[in-house]
Amino acid sequence: MKNKTSRTNSMKLKKAIAASLAVFILFAFTGCKTSSGSATTESSKQEDTSTTDSGSSGDLNEKLNDLYQQENQIFADHKDVWDKAFGFMSKNTDDDTMNENYADFLANTIESNKDSFSEEEYATLSKDIETIRGIEEEIAKLEKEIAAADSSGSNSSDTADSTGVFHGFKGKDLDGNDVDESLFAENKVTVVNFWFSGCKPCVEELAKLNELNDTIKKMGGEVVGINTDTLDDNQDGIKEAKEILKAKGASYKNLTFDSDSTVGKYAGNIMAFPTTVLVDKDGNIVGEPFMGGIDDQSNYEQLMKQIQSILDQE
Amino acid sequence: MDKKLKSNKNFLVRFRGWFQAAATLLTNLHIPNLFKGKIYQGKAKTICVPGLNCYSCPAATGACPIGAFQAVVGSSKFKFTYYITGFFILLGVLLGRFICGFLCPFGWFQDLLHKIPGKKLSTAKLKPLRYLKYAVLVVFVILLPAFVTNSLGMGDPFFCKYICPQGVLEGAIPLAFVNSGIRAALGHLFTFKFTILVLVIILSILFYRPFCKWICPLGAIYSLFNKISLLKIKVDPEKCVSCQKCSHACKMDVNVVDTPNHPECIRCGACMKACPTNAICYHYGFSGKKQADNK
Repeated sequence: MKNKTSRTNSMKLKKAIAASLAVFILFAFTGCKTSSGSATTESSKQEDTSTTDSGSSGDLNEKLNDLYQQENQIFADHKDVWDKAFGFMSKNTDDDTMNENYADFLANTIESNKDSFSEEEYATLSKDIETIRGIEEEIAKLEKEIAAADSSGSNSSDTADSTGVFHGFKGKDLDGNDVDESLFAENKVTVVNFWFSGCKPCVEELAKLNELNDTIKKMGGEVVGINTDTLDDNQDGIKEAKEILKAKGASYKNLTFDSDSTVGKYAGNIMAFPTTVLVDKDGNIVGEPFMGGIDDQSNYEQLMKQIQSILDQE
Repeated sequence: MDKKLKSNKNFLVRFRGWFQAAATLLTNLHIPNLFKGKIYQGKAKTICVPGLNCYSCPAATGACPIGAFQAVVGSSKFKFTYYITGFFILLGVLLGRFICGFLCPFGWFQDLLHKIPGKKLSTAKLKPLRYLKYAVLVVFVILLPAFVTNSLGMGDPFFCKYICPQGVLEGAIPLAFVNSGIRAALGHLFTFKFTILVLVIILSILFYRPFCKWICPLGAIYSLFNKISLLKIKVDPEKCVSCQKCSHACKMDVNVVDTPNHPECIRCGACMKACPTNAICYHYGFSGKKQADNK
């Protein structure tokens, strides 16, 4: 009997311990869950911004659709006449007619089959065609705008809105001297290298970047470094960056700026380091960002080729 | 209580594939990033996930503990990471290699590959290779990153850089697929690691979990905790009829009756399914005196 109670007691103890541990684990996982929850909101935030970025072209597309609907409505309103008109069309479509303005194309078809329509019908059609001509003009304009928006964003979405991130640049070099976008204007091409102090491949290529700076200085170019640990005038970060630059014998300019600025946000979104971009004298990023260290000879040659092509355009 | 554990065990074991799928999804929440060729860099990335899951996977929720460990050990500012070591000890004590069997995305990947029908080979004769993973842990995760450094004291994450097939599968391939900049940066190292991945895939079809058994440093760490972990496998000696069905069912080559908490056991529960008398079950909590391997 006594034995039995002690056994149940130990069972109870075990149960209590097991239960408390279960609760503990639950908490451990809840901790993870909340953080991953915040993660999701953050990512959805990112998505939000990307949708607003593409929002303008979305609007354009909507307008375009609206215009197409208007045209279709016109055809629907005078269905009988238009169906009759369309009857003449299918036979005489060739490449030339497909290329001309749609309103002209309609007008020509009606004109050449004028005899088949009553006067009243002809009047309706002509009036409709004029309306359509107006709509077509708008459509052409919209299509142009959309094409322009697309071509600027043709590569990847983030390079699209980032070509101009250096416009209106304001910052300092690591010695505290002010630097603005005139830096880019003074050079035919500026090689901007993004790095951070804890990144081994970045640190390894600093010497080579210094060499590159010496080489392209003669051709009217310049290498500029941006260490993401030094942003917002972070003195500790600047001190460390300076030590690394000194140890690697890199004497070219390194910049610090506000992490809230456009270029600061651009730097914050870079996910592979080192990343190097080429900036023309108008402060526009040219071509795709270049990833990987240029201490690798083939990477160096590739970057050199890009630099050369910008210099040749001058 | 026995009954409760039994139903509990059945539930876990029966739905192990679903647990693995759910764990993989939770470890990789940012699915849209896969199509954008970006990686999530928010605050949750400072937290480690339990399984081997590359930080550079565009969808990854958190950091890979093995990757994070190397990053800290290899940095010039720090010599040792108390945070991640503590994380290993906590998870090791709470779950042990249950993580390998239920939570690790790469473990699940190998499980799925092994389901591909074809000739299956036993790894029973290759047991010495098990010790390779401890060598990988000590050499590639700890020693090389800590001591092979440049003039500024910076080391490389050697395991991630030269071995890890999960990094290629989750990081390099999806990123290079969508992101042209990354694609342009691929070189010999990618070819080398891609070969490792292909090799692991082929071996995974032939053998059961070759990477877990022989290479994985994360499994090596968790395996050290299997014997003392709160989650254990218990064999009831009164119910056991010594048929040895469990040991034959075990794909990790463990002798279940003698060593139910062997370092190689990934708690998959294949032995429980095989046991004709329901003598094997999970046990959570401090071990009782009845524990078979404590005798």
